[in-house]
Parts: sequence; structure tokens; C-alpha cells
Amino acid sequence: MDSDLVLVIVVVTALAFDFTNGFHDTANVVATGISTRAIPPRTAVAGAALLNFVGAFISLEVAATVAGGIVEADLITPTIVFAGLIGAIAWNLITWWYGLPSSSSHALIGGVVGAAFAAAGAEAVLAEGLVGKVFVPALIAPVLAFLVAGIAILCAYRIIARLRPGSVNRGFRLGQIVSGSLLALSHGTNDAQKTMGIITLALIAHGDISADDFHVPTWVVVSAATAIALGTYVGGWRIIRTLGTRIIKMDPAQGFAAQGAGATVILAASHFGYPLSTTHTISGAVMGAGAAKRMSAVRWGVAGNIVMAWVLTIPAAGAIGGVVYGVTRVFGDGALGPVVVSVLVVGLLAAIFGRRLREVPPPPPIPVGSQSPP
Amino acid sequence: MIATIVDWAALRDVVLASLAAGVGITVAFSTAIFGLTRFADLRRDDRVGAAWAFAGVAIVGLAVSGTAVVFGIILLVSK
Repeated sequence: MDSDLVLVIVVVTALAFDFTNGFHDTANVVATGISTRAIPPRTAVAGAALLNFVGAFISLEVAATVAGGIVEADLITPTIVFAGLIGAIAWNLITWWYGLPSSSSHALIGGVVGAAFAAAGAEAVLAEGLVGKVFVPALIAPVLAFLVAGIAILCAYRIIARLRPGSVNRGFRLGQIVSGSLLALSHGTNDAQKTMGIITLALIAHGDISADDFHVPTWVVVSAATAIALGTYVGGWRIIRTLGTRIIKMDPAQGFAAQGAGATVILAASHFGYPLSTTHTISGAVMGAGAAKRMSAVRWGVAGNIVMAWVLTIPAAGAIGGVVYGVTRVFGDGALGPVVVSVLVVGLLAAIFGRRLREVPPPPPIPVGSQSPP
Repeated sequence: MIATIVDWAALRDVVLASLAAGVGITVAFSTAIFGLTRFADLRRDDRVGAAWAFAGVAIVGLAVSGTAVVFGIILLVSK
């Protein structure tokens, strides 16, 4: 009975993480298109949601290795996964609140690492995996995307230098719709897999699926796809505003170069078995497209805050995951700990967001074309 | 330690492919826009021959861009 309840809680929490993953990462896909007026905001998030949903069905190469090679798989329990998910959700909400694009994958890895560390000590964490699969790619993604977008926009400016801005902007806006769609599709393909992997592993641990017959049940695919699509549709407007207008004031050519560079870096990395964070890649590409035009075009203060959020993601999500694991253990090995933590988290969120919604009218979606932060 | 942890071969492939494809798709699409804009300008000036030459440039640019997008979708689907 207890294990059934823990399974249900892990599944619901994983879907909640998937939802936050969707609205947190909406910005990666739509921010540049919205800020250059390539597509209206609501249409952009609706299209991104649909493509995220479709993308989740395209590939079922399940990310069973979420945190695989980073923590000792034998030591992972449903309670550790639960605590890791709470750590990731909490960090996603904190960074969303401050409008900072940070990696949901890193938040999840950080949460699980922190919970595993709290449960089994340092031997639960594989340092080589953490460096090779997380830290090094975290350095490479933004730098590579920065370079690719920078070189791309310099080439583009040379080609279109003497043309009428009107037709050039119209052309690049159309191109942005295609490159943004490709990004949304790849996001759905990559990110919904994480939730599917977690739920499937929980089902295996519970004995509902044999480890020898690893497959993703259809209801898991549909629910994970739905959660990330709903999250995307809700839209993390604070992060969209940061990525779309606060780092640089983009023209459509820069938007296209950033999205094109982002999409190609993500696809190339995925193809060669070197998966990179969508968030780090797109943020780096946006900065590169701005800096290539003029270094002072990039608001380096905002960029610095974003990089600081990236640096803090794993330790912060890990600390929260560790504390959550510790709290669940106070209530013993059964389901009581996760139940108490879930009730506390839901209550806390209701209190914070309920009060916020009563006090402050919702902000306008995004100040299109504005360079100043609202 | 880093030397043994990082898959340098995969990393080199990622860097080269990203640079080639990322810069290439922007160059191709910019070329398409250049061709289309010049085509419209020259046709308005009744310079039909030159206009169609730029239309050819635009078609090549669009074809390369379209191929890159289709290739990207194939990569996604075939994972």
C-alpha cells in the first residue's frame, strides 16, 4: 500500500516537473520570434505547445539515464527521485520568478544528486560523470552557440548590407517561424523524455514493468507529452521577456541567426551523442548574435545574472533535494514523508501564488521592441 | 583528469558540424533573401534577364535552407 502511494506521488511530481520544464523553457523557443514580431505571442506559445506535444511522440529513446552515470544507480530509491524532483521544481520556480533562463535538466540532475548525497553520502555521486556529462557540456554549449551565432550574423549582415530593411526583415521573420518550429520540436523530443524515463523507472522499481522488458507505456508518453505541452502553453513570460528583450534588442536577422545557431548546435550535439542544454545553447546564441553586431549591444549585467543562475543551478537544486530527502526521512521509510512534503509544497505554492494573484494584476505578455526592462 | 573524462572526438564533431550547419543555414537563407529582393528590384526596373539570374540565386538559397530543415527533422525522427 505504502509503495503504491509513493509511486503515485512520484508520477504526479514527475508530471509537475514536466509542466514546469515546459513553461520554464517556452522562452528558448519563442522569445526571439516574439521580440522581433515574427509571430504574435499567443500564437507562438500555442504553436510551441503543439510542437512540443508532437515532439514527445517522435522518439522514444527514453532518457532512462537521467542522472545515469552521475549517481550510483543501485542506490536510487523512489524517495530520492521524489526529493530530486522537488529540488528541480523549486529551482525552476525560483529562476522563473526572477526571469532567469536556467537548465531544467541541470536542475533535475542537481536535485537527484543532492538527494542521493543526503541518502548515501559522497559515494552515491560519480564525480567523473558529473564533470564529463554536466560541467563540461555546460561550458561548451553557450560558448559554441555564441560563436556560431556571432559568425552567422556577421555573414548575414555582409550579404544583406545594401538591401531594403523592409523586405529583409519580412524574410527573416518568415525564416524565424521555421527555425522556431524546429526548436520546439527538438525540445519536445528531448525534454519530455526525461519525465517518461523517470516514471518508467519508478514503474520498474515498483514491479509494474520488468527491467528486462524496458518499454514506455502509452499512458506515460501521453501524460508526459500533455504536461510539457500545457506548461509550454502557459508560457513563462518573465523568462520570455528576459531572453527576448533584456539581453539584446534583436532585429529579425539576429533572431534568425540565434535560432538557427541554437537549433543546429542542439541537433548536432544530440546526433553525435553529446547532448547540450537547450537553455544554455539558446542563451549563448542570443548573446552571440548581439555581441557580433556591437559588444555594447549586449546588456552584460543581465547576461551575468543568467550565468550566475547557471552556476548555482546544480548546488541550489541539490541543496533543496537534500533537505527534502532529510525531511521525508524524519517520517520513516514509508509514504508518510513524501505525503507530508507534497502537502507542504502544495500549501506553500498556493499561499505564495494565491496572494500574488490577488495583489498584482498580470503583466502584459511582453513589451515588443522595447529595450528597457519593464 | 579532464582529458580522459571528455569525449574529445564527439566534441570535435559537434563543434565542426555546428559551425558548418549553423553558419551555413544563415548564409543560405540570407542569400535567398538577397536574391529575392534583388529579383523584385530588377523586375520593377524591367531588367528581366538580371532579375531571373537573382531568382536563381534565391532558389538555390531556399533549396539549401529547406534541405537543412528537412535534414534536421530526419535527425530528430531517426533518434
